[in-house]
Amino acid sequence: MTLTDTGATTVRRLTTSKAIVEALAQEMERDPSVIYLGEDVGTYGGIFGSTTGLLERFGPQRVIDTPISETAFIGLGIGAAVEGMRPVVELMFADFMGVCLDQIYNHMAKIHFESGGNVRVPMVLTMAAGGGYSDGAQHSQCLWGSFAHLPGMKVVVPSTPADAKGLLTAAIRDDNPVVYVFHKGLMGLAWMAKNPRSLDEVPEGEYVVPLGKARVAREGRDVTVVTLSLSVHHSLDVAEKLAADGIDVEVVDLRSLVPLDAETILGSVAKTHRLVVVDEDYLSFGVSGEVVATVAEYDPSLLATPARRVAMPDVPVPYAHALEYALLPRHDRIERAVRAAMTS
Amino acid sequence: MTTQAPRTTPETRPDTRPDTNTEIVGQRSRSTEPLDPGTRVALYETMVLSRVYEAAILREYHADKGPGFDIGKGLVPGEMHLSAGQEPVAAGVCAHLTVDDAVTATHRPHHFAVAHGVDLRRMTAEIFGRETGLGRGRGGHMHLFDPATHFSCSGIIAEGYPPALGQAFAFQRRGSDRVAVAVTGEGAANQGAFHESLNLAARWGLPVVFVVEDNDWGISVPRRSSTAVASNAVRAAAYGIPGERVEDNDVEAVYEAAGRAVSRARSGRGPSLLEVHTLRLWGHFEGDAQAYRPDLEELPDRDPIPRYERALRADDLLDDETAERIRTAAEELVEDAVDFAKSSPVPDPATAADYVFTEETS
Amino acid sequence: MTDVLFPPLSKQTPDSEGVLATWFVADGERVREDQLLAEVQVDKVAAEVPAPAAGVLHRLVAEEATVRQGSVIARID
Repeated sequence: MTLTDTGATTVRRLTTSKAIVEALAQEMERDPSVIYLGEDVGTYGGIFGSTTGLLERFGPQRVIDTPISETAFIGLGIGAAVEGMRPVVELMFADFMGVCLDQIYNHMAKIHFESGGNVRVPMVLTMAAGGGYSDGAQHSQCLWGSFAHLPGMKVVVPSTPADAKGLLTAAIRDDNPVVYVFHKGLMGLAWMAKNPRSLDEVPEGEYVVPLGKARVAREGRDVTVVTLSLSVHHSLDVAEKLAADGIDVEVVDLRSLVPLDAETILGSVAKTHRLVVVDEDYLSFGVSGEVVATVAEYDPSLLATPARRVAMPDVPVPYAHALEYALLPRHDRIERAVRAAMTS
Repeated sequence: MTTQAPRTTPETRPDTRPDTNTEIVGQRSRSTEPLDPGTRVALYETMVLSRVYEAAILREYHADKGPGFDIGKGLVPGEMHLSAGQEPVAAGVCAHLTVDDAVTATHRPHHFAVAHGVDLRRMTAEIFGRETGLGRGRGGHMHLFDPATHFSCSGIIAEGYPPALGQAFAFQRRGSDRVAVAVTGEGAANQGAFHESLNLAARWGLPVVFVVEDNDWGISVPRRSSTAVASNAVRAAAYGIPGERVEDNDVEAVYEAAGRAVSRARSGRGPSLLEVHTLRLWGHFEGDAQAYRPDLEELPDRDPIPRYERALRADDLLDDETAERIRTAAEELVEDAVDFAKSSPVPDPATAADYVFTEETS
Repeated sequence: MTDVLFPPLSKQTPDSEGVLATWFVADGERVREDQLLAEVQVDKVAAEVPAPAAGVLHRLVAEEATVRQGSVIARID
């Protein structure tokens, strides 16, 4: 093997899907009670590439294809977790939460509390979310706000491959139920338009990102954009563009919804005095309102101009491309909101 | 409990030919051995304990709801679903279990909790909402969790089945012969979770015993108007697993059928369904006037406990003295549990938001 | 100098074309032997392309370009 020059190191990049697979492989290697179950997670490797190669490496006892029975197999994950295993259960699309919500919010999320802390459910519920590729109203939703609204489960939403690995590792090790939502547009799939930042450097070896901590993705002085998931990258694109116009945007990547890192949000707004929230989940009664309320409850006078929210409106996601893209919180809408926050 | 090599997996299970073994078991067949006296008396004792318990909860629940009936009032507020009349199911099934086996029960859980060996003091304290309860007062009577006996229950119809699958999965994965018993009512057999669970347990050969308590009523709706088939034992066949139906709330028939089902699960031959035609002696919930129910007057004649007592007396296994001793022992245990609950502290309101998450990691 | 080839994915039609779906390494970057260089796709089957040697990568094909199986997509020196 040829030695590399001193001082010149290689950069190891992964797509988000490969980062997820790496986290799973490392945790499954470390702890034999970690198993992965869901629809098409075995031979297929997960519809969105969450388990590629894991069946070959760990075998059918650890990577398990289930029937189309979300209530049964999510419940099975709960029971196995109660008995001390660490199952990772995949809900193929966040949109499918309707068919199995009782097991999620009335059982997985409540058993620890109802038992006065005597029973733990160390389970991770992974799911794909997000639109932008014409999958229509029932297959394009984000819904992380709905999970965050219901008490008893942590909710994490990575935006980068490194965070995808680090947050999943932390989620598996956490003794609480954790909902882990990955945006399909971030996975770096060969068959879906890729965001350039869905391929990035990922630390090798053990890598843990603590749950409940936001990340300042770009420092700035003039306006705070609080956002998550794929919208982080759109916000960064807008920030780069606006820098040329002398507008210095700070982008805060929430990474976790439950717990929510209010300290980082408030610290940023205290510095910039302007707030824009970008969220691909539905506008009303959700994440963007929660962020604005966090600031308003703490100190409304922090804001020099009214907060702006750029979110999916309260409309089912349309199928036609032009219609969908009229509603998604993309670059044009983000830029307009930031400029508006700067002026009034 | 001996440990053995891992049981069948989806890949190693021999075949997928449905094992349809549907029987209607009414009375014990004469060709089988009679149960030994010790077992019979033990079944009776369990049923008496359960009934004495429910009678005490009934008393405590209604003691301070007045004037009239204010559901939120009193030492035991909220809904209450008591199991009087359904004791044969719990006694007959749990006789085959140890505390290492899992039981998931319903919104009407007390008979199974008692029969499975849940600590009566901590269970009662939970029903009274005290800090010493199984859930520190956070769960209440429909959400009893006892890790020591792998007992849990849920207030959502049929949703106790899926977690039982997971417990069975973990037991199997660790190479033990422990089983999970999952209990629902006959109304739950029309809920999606029931069907998903039977299919998945069958497909994966999980050591589960599905118990259906057919007490004729889904609150006020009789089974014949909700269910398309005559018996859920028939539905078991749709998932390729054996199904038995025990008629007439016969504790010994339950015991024998449950023995078959538990044995099947322990020996790696997969899940079974056991439906028992049982009797809801009291209302769906306390406060239920049961105006919809035409058979109220004949119910006391169908009470399974006096009937079984008569059978044991006829076989010289019970007399006035032993019956009295059993009842007194049950009352002492139950009253001790009630006293413990009543003298336990109420949770501090300042801790109301505790226990949502644990700080632990692996 | 080592050639990096587009792997043969389709046995039925060895002359068929595929897509270079993702580059994991920038042009001119140093790589280790076996480091993941790219992901390619033929008829919806995806495959990873590891580095056959260590050295500096010179990309010859753009992302999302159509490429004949077996052709050279990069060089390492």
